[in-house]
Amino acid sequence: MKPDDFEQRLSRQPRRQIPPAWRAEILAAARDAQAACHPASATRHNWLETFSQQLATIFWPHPKAWAGLAAVWIFILAVNFSMRDSLPTLARQSAPPAAEVIVELKMQQRLFAELVGTYEAPDADRRKIFSPKPRSECVEILTT
Amino acid sequence: MKMPGSQEIERLYDAHAAALFAFLLNLTRDEADTRDLLQEMFVKLAREPQLLAGVREERAFLIRLAHNAAIDLMRRRGTRERTKENFAAEILSPFAPASDPDEQFFREELAAALGELPAEQRAVVHLKLWSGLTFEAIAAALDIPPNTAASRYRYGLDKLRDRLRPLYEEIK
Repeated sequence: MKPDDFEQRLSRQPRRQIPPAWRAEILAAARDAQAACHPASATRHNWLETFSQQLATIFWPHPKAWAGLAAVWIFILAVNFSMRDSLPTLARQSAPPAAEVIVELKMQQRLFAELVGTYEAPDADRRKIFSPKPRSECVEILTT
Repeated sequence: MKMPGSQEIERLYDAHAAALFAFLLNLTRDEADTRDLLQEMFVKLAREPQLLAGVREERAFLIRLAHNAAIDLMRRRGTRERTKENFAAEILSPFAPASDPDEQFFREELAAALGELPAEQRAVVHLKLWSGLTFEAIAAALDIPPNTAASRYRYGLDKLRDRLRPLYEEIK
């Protein structure tokens, strides 16, 4: 008996076939394992899908109207941000106030406080403050 | 809905499951064990898709996975189970049934003779004869030197030849 013949005869023996039903069962088990192994991604995916469906439900009746409204809001926000950004620049670009202006502002502030009645002058200045007297005394002074 | 990567698992199954089934059935001699091991393999591949990253020879890699899983299963079992395994070898054939009675008898005898081989020789004989792998590929798949693969094959084939010679001469 030639060894090659024997080997060839053995190698020609047909093997038992894998049961076809195993395919679905084994692949289902593999899919389950895959899903169990990555639950976060699956949950996130489902959440995103639900969110997109909700958005579609809301926007679908009048998509152009919603798109226009979104564009208006985007324009408003853009203008708002651009103005907010430009204000500090203007403040930085303006020159510092002169000493005379500061003195004038302080005087106006003091005068306003006196008129309102909340200003308390320093001790040195208190004597100079005019204190109104009763109207009858004023008449006596004028007549004398 | 299909998870990402499930198509890849399906492709692997369609490409390799038949060969892995025959290999595992020849090693375990038990259809239920073969099914469990096959499912265990594909579940592992689904859980850890990175296992196949950079693998050039998928078949060799999957055969190694299958071989390791089968060896682990045999180790988990004791002598009692191995005795049962040998008994099963007499009633379960890894070959398809034949319509010709002589051919069918030869296949049954071949299955019994294979069942008597040590698992390491049976694995090499199977991969050489029925998977068509070279000794280098078998060595790579089973993580053994090529010379060891060749010697195991020769020892296994000699045992099969001694066992089947009378029958082979008769029906030749």
